[in-house]
Amino acid sequence: MTDFEDQLRRALAHEEPSAGFAERVVARATKRRPPVWANWRAWTAVGVAACLCLGALDLEMEHQRKVRAQGEAARAQLVQAMHITSVKLQKIQKKVRGTS
Amino acid sequence: MTNTLAQEAGIGKAVSIADDRSRAFEAAVREHQAMVFSVAYHFLHDHAAAEELAQEVFLELYKHWHEIESREHRIYWLRKVASRRCIDQTRRRKYRNHLSLEDAPEPFTLMPATDPLLNRYIQQLLAKLAEAPRMVMILRYQEGLEPTEIAELLEMPVATVKSHLQRSLAVLRRKLSFATQEDES
Repeated sequence: MTDFEDQLRRALAHEEPSAGFAERVVARATKRRPPVWANWRAWTAVGVAACLCLGALDLEMEHQRKVRAQGEAARAQLVQAMHITSVKLQKIQKKVRGTS
Repeated sequence: MTNTLAQEAGIGKAVSIADDRSRAFEAAVREHQAMVFSVAYHFLHDHAAAEELAQEVFLELYKHWHEIESREHRIYWLRKVASRRCIDQTRRRKYRNHLSLEDAPEPFTLMPATDPLLNRYIQQLLAKLAEAPRMVMILRYQEGLEPTEIAELLEMPVATVKSHLQRSLAVLRRKLSFATQEDES
């Protein structure tokens, strides 16, 4: 071990933490925690989370309902357009037959 | 009646075991507090942060109390957890506002030869090392561990530990040479 390493060793000698350190650690370690069910904050958080989930689910269902309604309206319009086209075609066919 | 007595005896025994554990734990804290605190303090260079980290290490020990097989195991466990937590905390909090040791200024005035000030200067230089070499130096010169023990504790190859030691010593020596020269003259 060189002098320099000795100097390092002295610089890194053990230092004590502030007074009462052990008492504070033991107090923290042995402090009894209340059971989870008795923790109102946890329950509030669970309630808020549940409300948010339900809200999100409701929004998603509403969105799907709108998309479905739009799809059905489009389908009805298409059927009506096809019906009109069919009627027109029949009229044209009759006129063509009448002229020939 | 017999049942109640048996229950009371059981509760009494449980309380006694808890008391014994608590007493043994307190004795362990008193025995190792300087070691754990010093690892944290020399690494973080912050008294309050080092105390907080040391407390967390001991609380972790309390949780794993039943897994500790002997005093030697406890010392090994405490060193391992303390060193790992120090490195994790530094990375998490991005304690990267340090200059690299290469960039640390040379002492421009005569370094006082008194040990406390020189020690403080060495500690400041050490605090500027990167995480891994800093912890290697602390475990080597604070705890007096051999490179093989440090390698096992920090889960790194022995060659890496030796390389960290050599490089850190060389840089520290160079940084302190000015002070030593002035002191000798």
